[in-house]
Amino acid sequence: MISIRNLSAHAGSFTLKDINLEIRDGEYFVIVGPTGAGKTILLECLTGLQRLRNGEIWVSERNITSLPPERREVGYVPQDYALFPFLNVRENIIFGLKPKKLSKKELDEKVKVLAHLLSISQLLGRNVQTLSGGEKQRVAIARALAISPKVLLLDEPMGSLDVRTAKYLRLELKRYHEELGITTIHVTHNLIEAEEMAGRMAILHMGQIEQVGRPDEVFFYPKSPFVADFIGTPNILDCDYCNDLGHGLVEAVCGGVPIILPHHDEPVRKLALLPRDVYVTTRTPPGPGINRFKGTVMEIVPFSSLMKLTIRVGEINLLAELPQDIFEEMDIKVGQEVHLILKLRSLRVY
Amino acid sequence: MRGPFALPGERTFHLATLSALGFLFLFFIGIISALTAYTDWRQFFSILSSKEILFAIRLTLFTSTIATVISMVFAIPAAYAISKTHFPGKDIVDTVLDLPIVVSPIALGAALLVFFNTSLGSAIEGNLLRFVFEIPGIVLAQFTIISALAVRLLKATFDSINPRYERVGRTLGYSKTKAFFKVTLPLARNGLIAAAVLTWARAVGEFGATVTVAGAMKMKTETLPIAIFLNLAQADVEKAVAVVFVLIAIAVVALITLRRFTGRRQTT
Repeated sequence: MISIRNLSAHAGSFTLKDINLEIRDGEYFVIVGPTGAGKTILLECLTGLQRLRNGEIWVSERNITSLPPERREVGYVPQDYALFPFLNVRENIIFGLKPKKLSKKELDEKVKVLAHLLSISQLLGRNVQTLSGGEKQRVAIARALAISPKVLLLDEPMGSLDVRTAKYLRLELKRYHEELGITTIHVTHNLIEAEEMAGRMAILHMGQIEQVGRPDEVFFYPKSPFVADFIGTPNILDCDYCNDLGHGLVEAVCGGVPIILPHHDEPVRKLALLPRDVYVTTRTPPGPGINRFKGTVMEIVPFSSLMKLTIRVGEINLLAELPQDIFEEMDIKVGQEVHLILKLRSLRVY
Repeated sequence: MRGPFALPGERTFHLATLSALGFLFLFFIGIISALTAYTDWRQFFSILSSKEILFAIRLTLFTSTIATVISMVFAIPAAYAISKTHFPGKDIVDTVLDLPIVVSPIALGAALLVFFNTSLGSAIEGNLLRFVFEIPGIVLAQFTIISALAVRLLKATFDSINPRYERVGRTLGYSKTKAFFKVTLPLARNGLIAAAVLTWARAVGEFGATVTVAGAMKMKTETLPIAIFLNLAQADVEKAVAVVFVLIAIAVVALITLRRFTGRRQTT
């Protein structure tokens, strides 16, 4: 168990205020928030690299608040991975084991296990500067895990990866976590990433925790206007029933509207869909008609540079967002019939 | 430069900058050519192997190496402190450390001479080590001139190192001191070598402070620059030119070493 109690810290003009968190053993906990929320500073408080102004940090019944970073037993993977360029991959992995004065046999065994777990056995002799972003990340995780830490801290681990690599590595991170069962704290600004990875998550904003909970709790029951705004006030649809269509697809019927989804082990109870992922067009869209519907515009509300449209489809109201210029170009009016496309990738299923 | 595809305005600009570069290059080549033309190559090697010049070479290499080692011992932690730590009065300390770079070496030599006339200076001279008109005085003069340069060069090196490396080292079980030696210094390796080579080359060529503190005594405090000075004063131009070639050769070796470790020209 990691217990953060009344933690406050200053970094320049930025302040972390009265942070309280309880993270369970073996949990994958994600701290999510916009840039400048204080996520990295909070992680640095846990590593001991940032001094606390107030509060305590306990890891496994041990108060580590006044311990220096080298005695905290936390594995830290920074955003840019910070692999030592003067060492090759193997030397980077065993760097943290050198103070422990292990025998060569013990070092080789440790490297073998970690390299196998992280699928980097073929990279061990490589210069770290020649690695791809995904390879660097795996080496940095191996280096952090080599010291057998009590907790693994990941600072924006997908921040510098392309979308495809990030998606693959999210699955890999889940696998490492399941195999090792190590308590992991993952910091990100990406809500989709947080939701996909987290057992539980905390929303951090301007140095304060806004909400802690499972992703579905945060998503369906935002506790503050900031959280609601940050997650984008989604359309939440109650599903009446599901039909298995075969070929890995299910049809979830919500308010008479049939929505096609990839197959899920659990029955679909609720669907969430962000307004920005409901595409609106006045012309009939080309292509197959999956997850495409006709609806009637019920309300138009300007919001900053966006227009928020409430559209009636079957028995449900869907909220959609359109940039002002596109809205004006389409000349949409209340009562008008429009076509909707639901972006499948952004559907969340609970 | 975009070769024949450059626009007329660009062409004029490139012509102007390349002309300035060409002028400077030819200026220095001209100076070296004049030396080469003047030298009697039959006499050159016998001058170089003369007792006096061999003494000057040995003394210069010995004192400049000692001065460089001492200056690096102080400059590495000092530069790290200026680069990575915040403390009150840091700007003042930084400015004072820049003084030896901009103040004339002869003025610094005079200041050292005055210091050894104070009671503290006299006590050091009387009880610890004699500097004035002695070989330790050469090392002290060279140290005074090059240590500030070493700090400046090393600060730039430490500035360029992302502190995150050292911080990760801390989380991997290394204390602050161990992280400095095992992470930061290896990252600074090329910068350290470049700083050592440049400061050593500067020490080899040091004249103003050395002549003021250690004097210009043949076969006693005669470094290579002082050998040039003494031989010119005696109108023995051939000998002076031979020593100039030795200094140029040392400079060339230093610059080649520098390029080997930095991959580019150093800007100081």
